[in-house]
Amino acid sequence: MHKLHLFVFFLISVCMLSACTQVRSWERGYLAKKEMAWDPDSLEGALNDHIFFSKEASSGGNSTAGGGCGCN
Amino acid sequence: MSKLSKIQTFLVLFASIAFHSAFAVEEGDAAPDFTLPSIQEGQADFTLSAMKGKTVYIDFWASWCAPCLKSLPLYNELYHKYKDQGLEMVAISVDNPIEDGLDFLLDTPLDFILPADPEGDIPELYGVFGMPTSYLIGPDGTVRMVHIGFRDGDIEMVEEAIKSVLSGG
Repeated sequence: MHKLHLFVFFLISVCMLSACTQVRSWERGYLAKKEMAWDPDSLEGALNDHIFFSKEASSGGNSTAGGGCGCN
Repeated sequence: MSKLSKIQTFLVLFASIAFHSAFAVEEGDAAPDFTLPSIQEGQADFTLSAMKGKTVYIDFWASWCAPCLKSLPLYNELYHKYKDQGLEMVAISVDNPIEDGLDFLLDTPLDFILPADPEGDIPELYGVFGMPTSYLIGPDGTVRMVHIGFRDGDIEMVEEAIKSVLSGG
């Protein structure tokens, strides 16, 4: 048990040294900029989606949530 | 369980919990005091404790947050309607750089207190979770309502809460 506890404590400590950070809701100004969106130009995005669908006979899988004001 | 292994167990639990504290100011809590400079140069600093005895509505906003921009003119109307009854409106801009917030105010002038907190110290103090977040603080300094986000129809709910606090509720 002694070694197990030490190992778990070590593991947790290492995880806390990682570079991941939480972006607070009031720090999301940069994420809300147009250039940070997946598709800053929605018309061009729609055209690209259509071309993709025509060529691949499938669609979707190219969007994600995130950015913005964090209010939702 | 030996004493040493009990200490180790405690250390393990402590390490996993202690660094994830998520303190947020909730309804019923005393509103933490703070002082912030005004977003406009030459205007006086704002201190929350100086507002004791008044009903204060604090709103955290930013120029990049669409619901915030929608809510501010509505809050301006609400301020004019209830300021004679003792309502103080405080809209804290968390824009960094501050000029982004000032640019918005050029197009949409607001008549209430406008502090600026580009470092985000006060949203951190209050445990702000989403933008916008507003706090309705009663004359005794306790938080009466915490409102996260802003959707259509929210202004009526906010007005009802303000009326209730102003009438001594």
